[in-house]
Amino acid sequence: MEIKKYIIYLLVVISFIGSMIFVNNNYNFYDRTIVKVTDTSETSRTEIIDEYENKDTMVHQQITAVIQNGESKGETMELENQYSESQSIHSQLKKGTEFFLANDGISVGDIKRDKYVIFVAWIFILILLLVGKKQGALSVVSLAVNAVILSIALDIYIKNPENSLLIICGISIILFTVLSLIMASGWNQKTFTAIIATLLGTLTSLAIAYFALFVTGEQGLRYEEMSFLSRHPQVIFMGGLLIGSLGAVMDVAITMASSIFELYEKNHQIKLSTLKKSGLEIGKDIMGTMTNILFFAYVSGTIPALLLYFKNESPLGFTLSMNLSVELARALAGGIGIVLTIPITLYMAIFFIKRKQARL
Amino acid sequence: MNVLVLLAVILFILMALIGGKKGIKSFIALFLNFVVVIITVLMMNDPNADPVLLTLLACGIISAISLFYINEINSKTKMAFLATILTTVLLLTFIFIMTEKSMIQGFSEEESDGLTIFSVYIGIDFVKVAASVIIMSTIGAIVDTAISITSPMKEIHQHNPGISRKELFMSGIRIGRDILGTSSNTLFFAFFGGYMGLIIWFKDLSYSLGEIINSKVFSDEMITILTAGIGVAVVIPVASGITAYHLIASQKK
Repeated sequence: MEIKKYIIYLLVVISFIGSMIFVNNNYNFYDRTIVKVTDTSETSRTEIIDEYENKDTMVHQQITAVIQNGESKGETMELENQYSESQSIHSQLKKGTEFFLANDGISVGDIKRDKYVIFVAWIFILILLLVGKKQGALSVVSLAVNAVILSIALDIYIKNPENSLLIICGISIILFTVLSLIMASGWNQKTFTAIIATLLGTLTSLAIAYFALFVTGEQGLRYEEMSFLSRHPQVIFMGGLLIGSLGAVMDVAITMASSIFELYEKNHQIKLSTLKKSGLEIGKDIMGTMTNILFFAYVSGTIPALLLYFKNESPLGFTLSMNLSVELARALAGGIGIVLTIPITLYMAIFFIKRKQARL
Repeated sequence: MNVLVLLAVILFILMALIGGKKGIKSFIALFLNFVVVIITVLMMNDPNADPVLLTLLACGIISAISLFYINEINSKTKMAFLATILTTVLLLTFIFIMTEKSMIQGFSEEESDGLTIFSVYIGIDFVKVAASVIIMSTIGAIVDTAISITSPMKEIHQHNPGISRKELFMSGIRIGRDILGTSSNTLFFAFFGGYMGLIIWFKDLSYSLGEIINSKVFSDEMITILTAGIGVAVVIPVASGITAYHLIASQKK
């Protein structure tokens, strides 16, 4: 057992080091030319004041860089980089920075970010393993599986656009729920309760969201600010809403189901009214923090855009409705799902326990 | 009627029906948190203000609202508060280094096409803003995990007064392990839902894997998701450690 444990640790460390070495030397796997900055010098620095009196400084850099891949590998080239001190769009290049050349061959394209993404991914995996041991490993696996399912589902949607995204999301949701909950708490009645409650909770909250959109004629929703849209925004919005609240709803369902079944396990003769009361208490405790999690996960991403609007002297109401309406609608609809799942799980669990008690 | 108002009303009614007084408090807390976020953003508008410091302050207020207002001020919530702040500071150091190195701040080239009517040279340090965004998106989950650990640990200590500090710490870790999976799942799905449009967009424009992973938007989203997961994991030993230390120390007095 001990030896097996050390072998696993060793394998993890080796793959960590191996992938870090790979991602720092994978230049030849890219078609685009990658260069590494060897020297920078500032050529000019101009203060700029825009029409709203925002001060910023534009900086020009002269960059010396060595080409890392392709036919001209090893050659040195000179190029120019321009950025503002706020770095709102372009970045300041430093010695050692690696980046892709833009299509014109002389200007700065994407920074080579793969190594940082992989590094953070590894830190995530290592910390989850360190803190969570077996459960940590299971979480990593279940997250990876869910990501793959989502990617495949979206591929199917893109190749067959006649299928509704909502139906594809619906099928993926059943897969996500069954897989994640079984991986998290095993194959038993508790998990079974949580799965049914999650699906019912998600379905009801979707129905309520649809109802709200229908009744109000989507008034107040500003789809136009949803960035990165290549499809009808309402479809993306509903699909995102469905998947976005799923994790929170699952969390509520499994937390409630676990504690109710545990109370029953401790005392098989426990009164259903006592179970109901304790279950509701647990539900009250988690509803606040769970809705908060969704709220912050959604709303924080809008901060840079909010700042941009404010700095361009857009009115407060306009700025908030343009940038936040979609995120807030998601958070609110997700919150509705979370709160609804509390009684659904409670009654599902009591239903199963009642049947068990009747059999005794 | 406005969709948001209708949804908020429905949420309020449900929270009040199911959660009673605590449900109403939770709803008010949600609203207060929203106000805190908006005020923080308004304060970030001042180019002399440090976005990271403002965010830390905001995180303190947000966790105080979630812990002390919805629950009450007692040793459980105080320890959860301390654990949240400590984790946030620890995480912030890591986030700051990563955002600076990976240059994921600000707006991407793709986005900036849609922003041509705006002046983007607004004198705010976007590297710091990027770090603030990441920490802010995790704060809800960190607070949740912290209180889910300190509260049962207190119960365990009350039922077993003779428990050693190490045993108490380990029981905290075990509780944490049980919630780690579901908490990280909650965050991941929330982000998946939010980024679904982006993923479809990448696929529709047939970006290659290399282009996706190195692009500013994608790496920004990935680093945010992963760091959020790291935060939820890091708060487990921090909260267990603080609680174990405090409960045993106060017992000796």
